[in-house]
Amino acid sequence: MKSLSFRWQLILFILLTCGVTLSLAFAGFYLYDLRQFNNDVQSRLENTQMLLLENLVPRLEQNPNDTDLHLSQLGVDGQIAAAAVYSAEGKLLARYVRVGMTEIIPPLPRVTRLLDVSQRGVLWTPISSGARPLGTLYLKAEQNEADRDRVSNLLRGSAIVFLVSALLAGAMAWRFQGRITEPITELARVSATVQRERDYNERVQTTASGEIGELIDSFNAMLDTIQSNTSELERARVAAEDAHEKIIQAHDQLEEANRTLEARVDDRTRLLAKAVKDAEEASKAKSSFLAKMSHELRTPLNAIIGYSEIMKEDAEDDGEARRAEDLDKVLNAARHLLGLINDVLDISKIEAGKMELFVETFDLTKLINEVIATASPLVSKKGNTLAIDCPGDIGAMQADATKLRQMLLNLLSNASKFTEKGTVTLKAVRHIEEDADYMELSVIDTGIGMTPEQLTRLFQAFSQADASTTSKYGGTGLGLAISKQFAQMMQGDITVTSTPGVGSTFTIRMPAKVLTKQPKVVNNTTNKLTRSPFPSANRPKILVIDDDKEIRTVIAELLSMSGYDVVEAASGQQGLEHASRFVPDLVLLDVMMPGIDGWTVLSKLQDNPKLTDVPVIVLSGVGDVEMAMSLGAASVLLKPVDASRLTAEIATQLSPLPKCYVLLVEDDADSRTLISRMLEREGWQFRAAINGNAALRTLKKSTPAMIVLDLKMPGMNGLELLEILGKNPIWVKIPVVIVTSMDITQEMRDVLTARTLGILRKGQFTREQLAAHIRPAVQACALAET
Amino acid sequence: MPKILLVEDNEMNRDMLSRRLEKRGYTLVIAVDGGQGVALAKSELPDLILMDMSLPVLDGWDATRQVKADDAIKGIPIIALTAHAMESDRQKALEAGCDDFDTKPVELPRLLTKIEELLKKFPPKA
Repeated sequence: MKSLSFRWQLILFILLTCGVTLSLAFAGFYLYDLRQFNNDVQSRLENTQMLLLENLVPRLEQNPNDTDLHLSQLGVDGQIAAAAVYSAEGKLLARYVRVGMTEIIPPLPRVTRLLDVSQRGVLWTPISSGARPLGTLYLKAEQNEADRDRVSNLLRGSAIVFLVSALLAGAMAWRFQGRITEPITELARVSATVQRERDYNERVQTTASGEIGELIDSFNAMLDTIQSNTSELERARVAAEDAHEKIIQAHDQLEEANRTLEARVDDRTRLLAKAVKDAEEASKAKSSFLAKMSHELRTPLNAIIGYSEIMKEDAEDDGEARRAEDLDKVLNAARHLLGLINDVLDISKIEAGKMELFVETFDLTKLINEVIATASPLVSKKGNTLAIDCPGDIGAMQADATKLRQMLLNLLSNASKFTEKGTVTLKAVRHIEEDADYMELSVIDTGIGMTPEQLTRLFQAFSQADASTTSKYGGTGLGLAISKQFAQMMQGDITVTSTPGVGSTFTIRMPAKVLTKQPKVVNNTTNKLTRSPFPSANRPKILVIDDDKEIRTVIAELLSMSGYDVVEAASGQQGLEHASRFVPDLVLLDVMMPGIDGWTVLSKLQDNPKLTDVPVIVLSGVGDVEMAMSLGAASVLLKPVDASRLTAEIATQLSPLPKCYVLLVEDDADSRTLISRMLEREGWQFRAAINGNAALRTLKKSTPAMIVLDLKMPGMNGLELLEILGKNPIWVKIPVVIVTSMDITQEMRDVLTARTLGILRKGQFTREQLAAHIRPAVQACALAET
Repeated sequence: MPKILLVEDNEMNRDMLSRRLEKRGYTLVIAVDGGQGVALAKSELPDLILMDMSLPVLDGWDATRQVKADDAIKGIPIIALTAHAMESDRQKALEAGCDDFDTKPVELPRLLTKIEELLKKFPPKA
């Protein structure tokens, strides 16, 4: 059936229905006719029976066994084929068979009751007179020709009617099936075409109504949708191809730009490498010149001092007090000069990295007593009292005694210089804590004190609190810078707190046991490590680039302990490769490496758009800080790097930015610390950046509520940063306050006034003045956040 | 009075230091290089030696080692005189066998203290 087309199926179906209906009609008709006929026969039989019974009953009443009944004459008509009469005992009394017919007269059935269901055309009738049974009458009707013809005629007629009506039905089906099948076959054809040729323009043309009409309408609508979707798809594909082409073009341009950039980077790197080399050579030359000069200067100076002493002694012996006094002045001047020369020699040695430590174990009380003996004439010179606060059991210390002595003398000499008729106290405390054992040596004076601005420049070489200080108090201003370096060399530091007009406190803090051989990273397990700001499941990846395997191992261990994943690179080349491949969250970079050095690596990382936002912490020597900053380092840590300081810095660089934070952009470490403390005290979240480049990296991560900006910085300076901020629609809205020590021209002031909330002069503003600038911005931001 | 051997190549330094020490009553013997210093130590048997470290012919460290290797004179205390801030020189001096050191330029009171201390520790035999 399935292989038959729908139209043939339909025709067949109609014909089948027709056939079944006609057959049923015939069957009914035939049955009805048959029944009519039987009824006729039956009534005829019953008539004959009545007649016979009328004749038979009187005869049998007279003689129940009368055999001469003359059945043939008893009006038996031609329709009776056979007749018989049985006595009450069942004996056959008379029989009749129509001439020319062969009929068997059956015996009287035993059970008369069955007589009712007698054979068709056969009638068994009991003969009785009143209640007395006389016998039984048997009659059988004749099946005549006409009866037989009736059935065959009926069948023939039926066949003819069947055929005619089948032909008629077929013709009509043929004629009308088109109305039903045509739309469906058309639908089938169209869908087959669509499927085959994917041509969605085809439509089913039809006038069909009803469900098929609806079906076709839906099918057409579906084709419409598909067609529009397909054309949209096509348009999209064309657009995508266009876009792809454009991307390819852009990619080509980008590659071209990259090539140009790479060439420029290479050029710059070469220039930079040369500049670094030149600078290093110049620095070495300067140091060796200074060392040599110092030596050359010292030899004659020693002679001046020595002979002056001899002459002074002689004069004193000869009682020539006046001459002795004059010679004393010569001596003092010469000694001062010697001190200056020694300072210059020290600082040049430190800068050249040639300053050595001579660590020995000594008794701190003894050293302090020696220092006091030397310093007391100096302290008492301006009417000051020298107080000592040192527990007798402070114990032994392991450090460079000569340098510690020099540091203490420097602090005491400074204190007495700036104090008049006051007290200079030398205080020593030993702190023994669970994880640290260190000494704190403080020199406290009641002198003129310093402003915060003066404090920021205090430890810088060749810079004193004030230019006028030199003329008034003398000195090269190198003493504190040297002392601070000494302290740092011995894993310690010098800090200062001061209030103008009240006095200053300088504190040397260093381990009671200074390690002799200093690795670049002090992996002191007693140091506190700052853990990764992320949960352990999400360990940030840090790339450590250092040619020294030992240091790499130490750092890797340290960082791994602190919750980071570490990738190590043994050279600049490998560092660059690893950086591109792994795209770390942070890079730790050593500067001094053979082959591609740290500077080249840093500038290449900065020039790679994929890596430019990865913060780089540079591990460097004293002289390299500016270079590192100008090349875009996120932070610079001086060697030897303390483990706790390193991990704290990494955590700061990686930790997510707080909301409504203040971004402090300041290159000078001391100034940064000072302003940071002010912000901290106000309870504001903040993040410090060492220059414009680092600030941009932070800005890209999250927009701050406020920017506190220094102007003069290596690398990207404050004005350049402002210009970039001005070009960004979001950044341009960030309020900025300038904190600077620069002399600002009127022109610059006009630019800054238009763009910033105000300009604060370094060292001349109070915490409240700074806070007043920042507070509204932070509050507005907090309000916007809620 | 104690006899001091001063080994110093610089004429002015030698002159100044010897004059000032003589003034304080010490007997001075002068050597201008390390070799001469060792020879004079043997012949003069001083009570104390002031040894400059950067010396011609034989430097101060080698001279000290030779003195300290000689049983006859190894008991003589030696004070090394080293240039300012040269810690490594000082350490080398102590390793070579010097009993103490002082830095140049000499601060006489401090040097005198050191001389007296050493003479107390190693009293002159005569």
